Amino acid sequence: MSRANHPMRRFGPVLWHTTLTLVAVAMVFPVLWALLTSFKPANDIYSVTPFSAEPTLDNYVRVLADWPVLTLLGNTFVMAAGVAVGQILIAVLGAYTLVHFSQRARGPILVLVTISLAIPPQALIIPQFLMTARLGWLNTDAGLIVPQLGTCALAVLLLVQHVEAMPRSLTNAARLDGARPFEVLWHIVLPALRPAISAVAILVFITTWNEYLWPLLVAPKPEDTTVQIGLTQFQTAEGNDFGGLLAAATLTSIPIVVVYLFASRRITDAFLQSGIK
Amino acid sequence: MTITASTTRAGSADLRLDSLTKSYGGTVALDAIDLHIPAGSLTVVVGPSGCGKSTILRVLSGLEAATSGDVYFDDVAVTTQAAGDRDVAMVFQDYALYPHMSVEQNISFRMRLQARHDRRSGPSRDKIARQVQDVAGLLGLDALLKRKPAQLSGGQRQRVALARAIVHRPQVLLLDEPLSALDAQLRAAARAELLRLHREIESTMVLVTHDQHEALSMATHLVVMDNGRVAQSGTAEELFRRPGSEFVAAFVGSPAMNFTARPHGRIGWRATDARILGDADTPGPGLLVEGVVDVIEFTGDSRHVLCRADGSTFTIVQRDGESVPRSGDVVRAEIPQHQLHHFDENGNRTND
Repeated sequence: MSRANHPMRRFGPVLWHTTLTLVAVAMVFPVLWALLTSFKPANDIYSVTPFSAEPTLDNYVRVLADWPVLTLLGNTFVMAAGVAVGQILIAVLGAYTLVHFSQRARGPILVLVTISLAIPPQALIIPQFLMTARLGWLNTDAGLIVPQLGTCALAVLLLVQHVEAMPRSLTNAARLDGARPFEVLWHIVLPALRPAISAVAILVFITTWNEYLWPLLVAPKPEDTTVQIGLTQFQTAEGNDFGGLLAAATLTSIPIVVVYLFASRRITDAFLQSGIK
Repeated sequence: MTITASTTRAGSADLRLDSLTKSYGGTVALDAIDLHIPAGSLTVVVGPSGCGKSTILRVLSGLEAATSGDVYFDDVAVTTQAAGDRDVAMVFQDYALYPHMSVEQNISFRMRLQARHDRRSGPSRDKIARQVQDVAGLLGLDALLKRKPAQLSGGQRQRVALARAIVHRPQVLLLDEPLSALDAQLRAAARAELLRLHREIESTMVLVTHDQHEALSMATHLVVMDNGRVAQSGTAEELFRRPGSEFVAAFVGSPAMNFTARPHGRIGWRATDARILGDADTPGPGLLVEGVVDVIEFTGDSRHVLCRADGSTFTIVQRDGESVPRSGDVVRAEIPQHQLHHFDENGNRTND
């Protein structure tokens, strides 16, 4: 049988696209169903027809009136941005110092940093919680942000790679031009790292935005917590308000969708570069 | 000209390495070398790769610290001075232009830093602009000042790197294989430009290359390195006419020197010094060599005749008026006594 007539060659693309379509449907379906359900009245919530006979905005009206959308979004944004900025700061300074000023310590330190990736965050959550409580940081931005800076290993490793990839002659030229170590970082290294930094920042921002366990522990109060925790208020002992939950979830994903519309290329690159997810 | 405080600093510095050693872990890159680089010279350091020639530049620049020994600029020890504090500039092999800065910003970076570090006596805005204009004029970069390095050709980048290095008229200008990234045609022009620049500015220039032809044609002072040591230094002509060792003899000059075995050593002779003998010619008192012609290379103005003779090979340059040998012919050639280089078993020169 010649290669051109081999069944895999003829049906390969068909098989491939069918698989892709199935995966795409599987991923989009729950999101679409949630969106559609958020427009259903309470007695239609569990019906299997996608469109309600009497679509309503009631869920949204109720959520906007009773649920602190803006406060929660604000808290989440402060947490995600704070963690992203903090981790970038640590990672940039760490990567620059490790690559350019610590020939001997670099190997062992990078091994330690890599090992920290292998420790499940849940294993550390009790001591971290106790420390945060002692510091009096429960229900504060500091309590939400500072402990999450400890998970900066990925950011450090990614930036070390990028600093290492820079030609040594560039920083040497700056040193010969009389630039002091911080000036070399500021004028030469940072501009070269800008794409890498924005990729890492996006990655950390999104991961932190989706964080659930930590904010649930340190900031359980409705007015201090994040969107992810706020959504659980619709599931109570007296029953679940799925209409409200889905309307709230839809509302809170609007900012993310807007950001994604503007920076989809950057975000895709960020995740591809990190080699995860 | 009266010498005032501001003009006492020489335009060029006399450089000296004093039993300087540089090792990386266990490997010794420079092995206790003593070297003098005269002020205002165009000193070319040449040698095979791994001989330590680039390490000399790094130690002179201060980018790397010496393991032991001292570096002197005009008899002042600078061994422990940071790179930015020595009055040294460098052109890197890959030019190392700052990619996010325009040509103008690349050239002025050092002076802008100085102005920021020392607001009182650092260069003023006007002075920076004037010096950038001057050097742009000198190197023909006026039209390119607003461009980014990515928008320049290889030759233009090389000139920007030169401009950035000489804009503040450093006492010492180091050039690390500055021509190796250029294609052959551009290289000849760039070589002439470097020589012109050396005439124009006072700086002591130290150029590193692996190309012996480049070295011979440019150097006012030539240093041949071998395995972490200085094999020989002097004028290009001295090294060519009177190589101190077999290594220098073999490395300098093209075609490479021929060697003929002799009891207790070898005799070296240059392809251009041999005279092909006709059948009727009687040999004189010089060295007589005989071989079978293997390959003939036509180079335009002469022919290189590669010959085989019991176990060894040699090359003769055939001159006008001499008979043209053909492949397979037996040739006899004579090299006059005074053009022979005698070396002992250790490869050291034994005749004057």
